[in-house]
Amino acid sequence: MQYYGPTDSFGFGQLREVWKMRELLYSFFLRDLLIRYRQVVVGVLWVLLQPMMGMLIFMGLFWVLGTNAGSSNVAYAPIILTGMLCWQLVSSSFRDATGSLVNYRHVVTKIYFPRLLLPLASLLCATFDFLIGSLLLIPVCWVTGTAVVWSTVWLAIPIAAWLILFCAGCIAWLSSLNAHYRDVGYALPFVMQLGMFISPIVYDVERLRHVLSEKWLWLYEANPIATCVGLFRWAIIGTPLPSTVGMAMAAAITLLVFLSGLSWFQHADQQLADRI
Amino acid sequence: MSIESIHLDNVCKRFRLGTANEYGRLTEAIASNAMKWLRRSSTPKPDSRNDSPTQQMEDGWFWALRDIDLSIPTGEIVGIVGRNGAGKSTLLKILSRIVTPTQGRVGVRGRVGSLLEVGTGFHPELTGRENVFLNGALLGMPRAEIKRRFDEIVAFAEIDSFLDTPVKRYSSGMAVRLAFAVAAHLEPDVLIIDEVLSVGDQAFQRKCLGKASQLGDQGRTILIVSHNLSAVANLCRRAVLMQNGKIVADGTPESIIEQYLSDSQSGGGQRSWGDNESAPSSNEVRLQAVAVRGNGVDAPTGEVDIDHEIVVAVDYKVLSNNAKVSVQIQVKDETGSYVFWSANAPSMSLSPDPWFGKPHPCGMYRSECRIPANFLNDTRYFISVLIGPEVGVTSVRQESVLSFLVHDTGVMRQEYTGSWHGPVIRPRLDWKTKSL
Repeated sequence: MQYYGPTDSFGFGQLREVWKMRELLYSFFLRDLLIRYRQVVVGVLWVLLQPMMGMLIFMGLFWVLGTNAGSSNVAYAPIILTGMLCWQLVSSSFRDATGSLVNYRHVVTKIYFPRLLLPLASLLCATFDFLIGSLLLIPVCWVTGTAVVWSTVWLAIPIAAWLILFCAGCIAWLSSLNAHYRDVGYALPFVMQLGMFISPIVYDVERLRHVLSEKWLWLYEANPIATCVGLFRWAIIGTPLPSTVGMAMAAAITLLVFLSGLSWFQHADQQLADRI
Repeated sequence: MSIESIHLDNVCKRFRLGTANEYGRLTEAIASNAMKWLRRSSTPKPDSRNDSPTQQMEDGWFWALRDIDLSIPTGEIVGIVGRNGAGKSTLLKILSRIVTPTQGRVGVRGRVGSLLEVGTGFHPELTGRENVFLNGALLGMPRAEIKRRFDEIVAFAEIDSFLDTPVKRYSSGMAVRLAFAVAAHLEPDVLIIDEVLSVGDQAFQRKCLGKASQLGDQGRTILIVSHNLSAVANLCRRAVLMQNGKIVADGTPESIIEQYLSDSQSGGGQRSWGDNESAPSSNEVRLQAVAVRGNGVDAPTGEVDIDHEIVVAVDYKVLSNNAKVSVQIQVKDETGSYVFWSANAPSMSLSPDPWFGKPHPCGMYRSECRIPANFLNDTRYFISVLIGPEVGVTSVRQESVLSFLVHDTGVMRQEYTGSWHGPVIRPRLDWKTKSL
């Protein structure tokens, strides 16, 4: 006999349930994937096109403006591409996950399954796109003649995992908040636009070092997206490492967001079918 | 067989009544919480637990369920009856984990399945094959099991040639067949059927009930919410009566249905609304009273003898001049079986009704229908009243407005003393035997 009822735990039970129902997570993931990659060539092309176009647009923009947004020693193209890839992971997982519960309302109010699976499936999809998109780094680095730092390149994997963990925490918050308060979904695009510019997506952190004092730079790097993007570039193309204080703060924030997200999701989940 | 399959321990569920925040905005929620915090000293916080259990409303909250204790052993088929809003569907939703109880805990052994979600979760862009896997996983079937039973499911749904066509190109019948095939092969340990919520036509609902009895024979635990009382009586071995969010009775289906029906209808042989707006009415007529008379007495009675004529009197007021009025009654028995329907049309009446088909001037009218003596069985019957401009057209309809019990006086038991239980009616007919 398995008992359940109102609980006030931190929501770790959800992770256990997600693990138990991982086949359903896979099914959700497969569903999203199948719909998008029905025509394999078009699907893959689309995923490659987005960061590529982003890269070209911003390169063109900065070229017209005559500004150098990159750091001194590395070509601008791989810098912006790594930024765009990370940003695509964050923005598409946020966008898809936020609506995931509400869009699936007709099922959520009829069948039980761990609700966390829905936003997580969106995250999985974004991760898959991220992996495919990362293949772009090979030709871009080769064409621009950028030296890949082979000794640290494997670190890109745990760094991506860090970013994914942060996204998981955020989407736990966003999806359940959106189920209760619909204006979250309306506000999101605006916040995302802002987020793109307060994170080093189209420029390198290096450029800020001359502008911001050390204290402000720490605050800037406390943004886990900023730190992860910085680390990602450091691991692959050898830009300078973010500051230790910034990284520690970013790690603490990631952990806080993830744990509070789990706990809040559990809390929101209990009224979900009543209020969605 | 005494292993518990479902256990509800002091379960309560409350909902927020429709207040400003129901489908709120985050900004509104923050603002209203801030206002509450600012005003916190002036308004004393009301006690969250009210002691009067009958009170379902309470400071903007509605208690859909209160203190539900229920234990169902494995293999039992239980029917849940109760009026609309008694909490039946909420109870099932709590059992299937869709809704989390506010208090208490729920225990279920094994996989819970319900036929109410047939077809939900189908994605129109995916093919039949892909949808079988997605839907199966959604219903809690392991992937390996779906793979093993895949051919069976497809054969059951009879859609083999459309397996790789997106479901959006299916006819609705095909989609429902496929959905039902998946659900039917789920083989849950606990099956939940909510006929009130389930979609589908009569034939489909019959199919669901057929599946239910089949699963019941295999020793699965089944819970049924149905307004079809005869289905409950036939399928279940136990029934639970719910009222205002509480379980008020628990016993054999027959006794529970009897109690449910006698609770919900006036048993005094008369139901009157008086001449006011709340009475069931249309633009032309207003129902004022329905009464049953029997035993040769003039006073309304809830219990009549089997050997006396039963008179059903319908009082109504005609509101607009020269309206045409036809009165019809329906009689059902306590399992919900439809006994008969009758109207005051000349061809349905032993002697023509003088007012039938004529324009009625404004005023009060009484239509009486006489049910012959020695016709009904000794059980409880329910009368529904329908009034309309002509036969078959209804403008005022009052379901199960009145019930009456027929008493066996023994007039038909001179030779046979056994049970008459079972038949819906017990008419005294004309018998002749001839030597040929």
